[in-house]
Amino acid sequence: MRYINLIFLFSLASAISHAELATNVLATTVKISLPPETLFLKESNVVGYSLASASCITCHSAEYIRTQPKLTRTTWKAEVTKMKKVFGAPIPDGSIDPLVDYLVLTYGVK
Amino acid sequence: MPINRRRFLKLASSYVIGSAIAERLLATHALADSVTLPFENGERELIAYPQKRALMRLTSRPPQLETPFCIFNESVITPNDAFFVRYHLSGIPTEIDPANYRINIHGLVSTPLSLSLADLKQIADPVDLIAVNQCSGNSRGFFSPRVPGGQLGNGAMGNARWTGIPLNKILKKAGLLKGAKQVSFKGLDTAPLAATPAFIKALDIDHALDGEVMIAFAMNGEDIPMLNGFPVKLIVPGYYGTYWIKHLTDIEVIDHTFDGFWMKTAYRIPDNPEHAVAPGQVPAKTIPINRMNVRSFITSLSEGSILTANRETILKGIAFDGGEGIKTVLVSTDAGKSWKDAFLDKDHGRYSFREWKLAFTPPSAGQYTLLVRAVNKVGATQPSTPLWNPPGYMRNVTESLHIRAV
Repeated sequence: MRYINLIFLFSLASAISHAELATNVLATTVKISLPPETLFLKESNVVGYSLASASCITCHSAEYIRTQPKLTRTTWKAEVTKMKKVFGAPIPDGSIDPLVDYLVLTYGVK
Repeated sequence: MPINRRRFLKLASSYVIGSAIAERLLATHALADSVTLPFENGERELIAYPQKRALMRLTSRPPQLETPFCIFNESVITPNDAFFVRYHLSGIPTEIDPANYRINIHGLVSTPLSLSLADLKQIADPVDLIAVNQCSGNSRGFFSPRVPGGQLGNGAMGNARWTGIPLNKILKKAGLLKGAKQVSFKGLDTAPLAATPAFIKALDIDHALDGEVMIAFAMNGEDIPMLNGFPVKLIVPGYYGTYWIKHLTDIEVIDHTFDGFWMKTAYRIPDNPEHAVAPGQVPAKTIPINRMNVRSFITSLSEGSILTANRETILKGIAFDGGEGIKTVLVSTDAGKSWKDAFLDKDHGRYSFREWKLAFTPPSAGQYTLLVRAVNKVGATQPSTPLWNPPGYMRNVTESLHIRAV
């Protein structure tokens, strides 16, 4: 029964998509919904973890950090400084070093 | 048109009859297959986004999706649902009504325009062009020493047939005024923070007027997928993808060199012929990234593939450059001791992938190092050792694969 349903749906879908192609190019509203985020920052007891969760994740998902190679403290600090100075991340001056501490500890060259 | 999982789910969930199947697929989906690129922290989820088949997710907000490399062996044209996705700012449009869409042309023009999509299509006859769109940072994950940035394998590229209206016709209609030096381009994507620089790119006026830069409204004969820039995208043939503005809405003719962050500070390359510096060095002078360099790949085999000794196999791959066109593809099956000219397949134009083929019979069992290197029509080729620059752009080393015959 399930197999028959599947065939029915596939042929229905195919018919609809051909019709859409012929008549509706650029004519209808396109709306998408994005899959949920599944990767988050690695939890840590250091104060920088909550700073990172508040400051970094406002603008981008955690993979921006997690997929980096192990970076040096100098490079992580340059990244955080760029986020503050260029991209306008609301990071108080006094929070930069604790934030970098967390990044180096969790995602950096030890 | 093949049915993709998203379309199937959308349709299936519209019908009670299909809900059980849809749920089952969603459950599978939630298990999220993954692949691991061959560098540190290279694990990537394989996940299907709207209008896309399962692609390698680099980041989720904003979405950055990489094309699995096996796709490039299937056809010279990259299917829309497999084409890579790269955004910079996380405020991306998820709903667009093409009937209300406008493209504004202003600045140093005699008649500022606010074009509907219907207006756009009436300006001139549409043109078709097959062109590669490649991310500046494609292959960044292979840089050594590693550099920060989007850690991509080789799949942030694709080849599509773009249909659109040449930009020079549009600018002519607006009427350029004296002193026009550059044209800047902006799309609908925005940042969550007002302080973040808007994603605006610029081209010199002569480039904008070259007749090849176009505003495309179709990709491979269909609407451009939302995540690739629906409903219109700027096409800059031969140039890296950073200039190919998605959801293009704002075009400004200016009398100076645009000095926004994404031109003046980001997407800069060393100002020397190789656009490279010694690893770890900082270039003395930089220029905006521009035309793509020469690249070629073997697509029919992958690292560690196993062939049968004394049996012929057809090696297959792709080559491309920034628009000179590919003249020769050279393949070595003995780690560079000797090279053979590959057969070049159908020419789809100087901005397209060029497919190549070469017969290879491993003469005995054992290990083989295969290399591929293309030469373009002005003699530019690929280096045997990787070039390096701090942002990790323009990788084009001669590619190698290690395989075994048994």
